[in-house]
Amino acid sequence: MLNKVKISSRQFTILTTLFTIGSAILVVPSGIAALAKQDAWIAALAGLAAGVIIISMHILLAKQHPGKTLVEMLDTLLGKWLGRTVALVFIATLFLCGPSAVLNILSNFLTTQMMPETPIQSLNILFAVIVLMGVYLGIETFSRSAELIFPWIALLYIAFIVLVSFDVKPTNLLPVLENGMRPIWPAALSFVCTAFLPNIILLMIIPSVDNRRNEAGRALLIGGIIGSVVTIVIITITIMVFGPEFTARSMYPTYALARKISIGNFLQRLEAIMATIWFISLYFRMTIYMYAISIALAQIFNLKEYRPLVLPLGMLLVVMSVIVYPNITYQNSWDTRTWIPYTLVIGFILPLLMLCLSGFRNLNKQG
Amino acid sequence: MLGVAGIIAAAGVIILLQVPVLRKKKLKKELWAFWILLLLGVGISISKSILLNIPTPMSWIAIALKPFSDFLIHIGLIK
Repeated sequence: MLNKVKISSRQFTILTTLFTIGSAILVVPSGIAALAKQDAWIAALAGLAAGVIIISMHILLAKQHPGKTLVEMLDTLLGKWLGRTVALVFIATLFLCGPSAVLNILSNFLTTQMMPETPIQSLNILFAVIVLMGVYLGIETFSRSAELIFPWIALLYIAFIVLVSFDVKPTNLLPVLENGMRPIWPAALSFVCTAFLPNIILLMIIPSVDNRRNEAGRALLIGGIIGSVVTIVIITITIMVFGPEFTARSMYPTYALARKISIGNFLQRLEAIMATIWFISLYFRMTIYMYAISIALAQIFNLKEYRPLVLPLGMLLVVMSVIVYPNITYQNSWDTRTWIPYTLVIGFILPLLMLCLSGFRNLNKQG
Repeated sequence: MLGVAGIIAAAGVIILLQVPVLRKKKLKKELWAFWILLLLGVGISISKSILLNIPTPMSWIAIALKPFSDFLIHIGLIK
């Protein structure tokens, strides 16, 4: 049942783009501006360059094992028991750091900025229900809806950039490289860890992509690049409007940016546009996470169907999203101290080891 | 108490939606996986609604990755 469904490579590009934009667009600007100040855009560009290399690594891995998901690759490379244990640890931790954390960030944003009186659990449940619906209906359905909704997001995004561009002050980007190259590297790393490394999970759905013309890998790369360019533009504009200090201090600088739009005292309060872009991309990020996790669990335990797992996983998702971060200070320190090493392990070290292992095996076969 | 009742009701709805289908298709392993995940979910939800403060599982990941994270701090890549 897992290999019957097919999505086109264009749909996969769109899914990758939305996945990359996902949590990056609203949270990244403040983190990266805190590290690199007005040079955040240089850091993000450096991150993009590193990201292209990382995605190429993922693509190479997918090319070496055509038609296999990440779990099946681990299975063939490490053997049944070790491979599945690694896969289970990977999936269990990803469930906490991925969808649960994203849902927590989302409901935090909603309760602090838009609906302060609504209890956090009810927002979580409402959002989780639509995510589960998407996962339950399957990848074909939510890819089609992504394809339908993507032009609207693009339109909203362009409208947003055009309206905000009345307020930019390019002098905020000066002086360039005030503190040399040193602060650039940590900022670039944090960008890569949010925008590119979690994309390893897309290897769980890459076998469902119609790969007759060898386009799946290219879709992964192009989607990642579009998503991160969108984010880089947002970072640059935020810093040009607010300057690095305010961007770093504010929790959701892009939301504050949308609030600032005022054309002739008439066109005002457009922050809902920003929030809509964010909700849609976060929705797809969470749906892809949950779909990949359910598929992975089904494959680890040799189940024929992934659907029975979806609703219980959803229940876990709702409760975990409240538990994962006890408070915002914990979240901030966890995001730098643990999220970065964690994504480095799953998105960089793990695929690198897998590539080395398969290279080693090929050598053995030849010799 | 209302919270606990809500959790059990939600679990009941999930069971009603899934179990008859699984029984009909005779998917035994899937049924087991379903029950284990559901019990885990219900257990954690109920303890969350009664105890209020539950230690976050994120700290286990943090402990496991502490050496690596210390190394990255040492070479100046994270703060």
